[in-house]
Amino acid sequence: MENRIKVVPRYGESRKDKLYLPAIYQGMKITFKHLMGNVADSNAVDTLEYPEESPYDITDRYRGLHRLTHREDDTIACVACFMCATACPSQCIFIEATEREDGEDEKMPGKFAIDTLECVFCGYCVEACPCDAIRMDTGIFSLIGNSREDFVLEKDQLLAHKGVFGEEKSRARK
Amino acid sequence: MSLAAILVAVISLVIGALLALLMIPVLVWLERRGAGLVQDRLGPNRTNVFGFRFGGVVQSFADVVKLVLKEEYYPSHISKHRWLLMLAPMITFSAALLAFMVIPFADNIVIDGESLRMQPLPVDYGVLWYLAIGSIGVIGIFLGGWLSHNKYSLLGSARAGSMMIGYELPLGLSVIAFVATYNTIDFNAMVQWQSGTVLGFLPAWGIVVQPLGALILIIALFAETNRNPFSVSEGESEIVAGYMTEYTAMKFAMYFMGEYVAMNTASAVIITMVFGGYQLPWVSTSDLLTHFSYFAWAIMVVMPIIVYFVIKWMKKNNRVRPTVISDGSREFEAKVLTYVMIGMTVLVEVILLYLSFASDAMLATSIAVTLLQIVIFVVKLMIFNLFFILVRWTLPRFRYDQVQHLGWYYLLPLSLFNLFITAIVVVGVA
Repeated sequence: MENRIKVVPRYGESRKDKLYLPAIYQGMKITFKHLMGNVADSNAVDTLEYPEESPYDITDRYRGLHRLTHREDDTIACVACFMCATACPSQCIFIEATEREDGEDEKMPGKFAIDTLECVFCGYCVEACPCDAIRMDTGIFSLIGNSREDFVLEKDQLLAHKGVFGEEKSRARK
Repeated sequence: MSLAAILVAVISLVIGALLALLMIPVLVWLERRGAGLVQDRLGPNRTNVFGFRFGGVVQSFADVVKLVLKEEYYPSHISKHRWLLMLAPMITFSAALLAFMVIPFADNIVIDGESLRMQPLPVDYGVLWYLAIGSIGVIGIFLGGWLSHNKYSLLGSARAGSMMIGYELPLGLSVIAFVATYNTIDFNAMVQWQSGTVLGFLPAWGIVVQPLGALILIIALFAETNRNPFSVSEGESEIVAGYMTEYTAMKFAMYFMGEYVAMNTASAVIITMVFGGYQLPWVSTSDLLTHFSYFAWAIMVVMPIIVYFVIKWMKKNNRVRPTVISDGSREFEAKVLTYVMIGMTVLVEVILLYLSFASDAMLATSIAVTLLQIVIFVVKLMIFNLFFILVRWTLPRFRYDQVQHLGWYYLLPLSLFNLFITAIVVVGVA
């Protein structure tokens, strides 16, 4: 047991510590050094100047704005199975299914809307999707609008978003 | 009263008011920007007027607009005597402002044999005025905290009040030691006393003559202005915002600005009493007046060099990184400021060239000396304000009982001891 005891040194008892002034001098030296260094070259400060400078650290796991993927023949991959809407914890996905006429599949969404004001960007919809039809790999992190309706993304907008990390089409097997 | 006397009085009043009031936005900006740079951030640098950012100082004016336009909120219990609630921050603000008014920012200017004070309030009992008015500020804090009917506010103001009692004593005693040393209660005479040398080579500044007294004075003034590390009356981690919890909009801004005016005043008092006021070390006003041409030549050599380095620094820093999309407004600003600075340098050079050859222009020389001293005063003032800011972003806040302990157990006996030694030396020398 003896060698397990670690004696933590107590500071603040010596006369030098009680005088405060040497410690204050040390601290002032550090802050002054930082201040002067940054005044001399303020562009070296590691700050992202956001509106002018885009973030450079968005990885392929970043959950950006949603998109609806396409099949190999550029038709919509979604089969309107309602898995994402069921998994969604904030219930912000609104789907209306219609019959699919082109023979690829039986169902497709007639309407597919995501209310991004409700969305918490958890990514559960992406996890739930059996067809790899919804993804969050657009890398878009800001959405701007003038009214609440602008933030409800419709099917066309979601289909228009591009994936920026290489995988453009749905990877679901036929 | 001659025309010159009236003119000097008005001008010094204007300069004093400008130094106190225009310093507020600059100091607020300096504090935020300084905090950012100390912590490896940038601080506010976006706000601009027609693309002119001036390093972000425009932000302070935008803040004032915001605070003026904010909703006026009053606690419900104070329906009848709202003017009392509004009076409290006014007391704090005006006390700090009035205390600044006895600081001399240049030596007495002699016009037609008449010695005129460069002091907004031309009184010869400046120390007494400062001690009397400076401590009124805490009444505003106390009144505001008490009227708020809020436990946190009351706690904050109670802390401010008790700290004031604890620190006025060492402050007063150290000031008495200075008064005994300088043998005057006139700020200007104190500065004149400091123009000599001690031991033949050191400037006779208060920090050299009275090191212990200077230290106590600086510490006590930190406490007097409610700045870190003594800002216990607004300990946000313990008592919300302290005495100003219930204050909004311009009423809050009054407290806020009052703090910066008080800080400015404290810096001015420190440099006046301890760091030679408006004077250069080793150089007295009469030296400046008699050998003005030498100083003019020195300034003419030094000023372009300084301006050159400032422009170089601005060119280096007033631009965005290459990766950033820019509309070129910063480059434009840097260009305009460069021309302005070069123009001002040329103007000053021409004036100094004229003065250095026209040796018989006594009035012009004394005005130039006064201007030079004002510049030195402002530079020293800014250095000390920066010191205040740096201390705030270096030291953590003292615990309340530690503050009281430091004041009563260390500073009070030390200042008494200092006064005792000073009295012995003064009497012994006399």
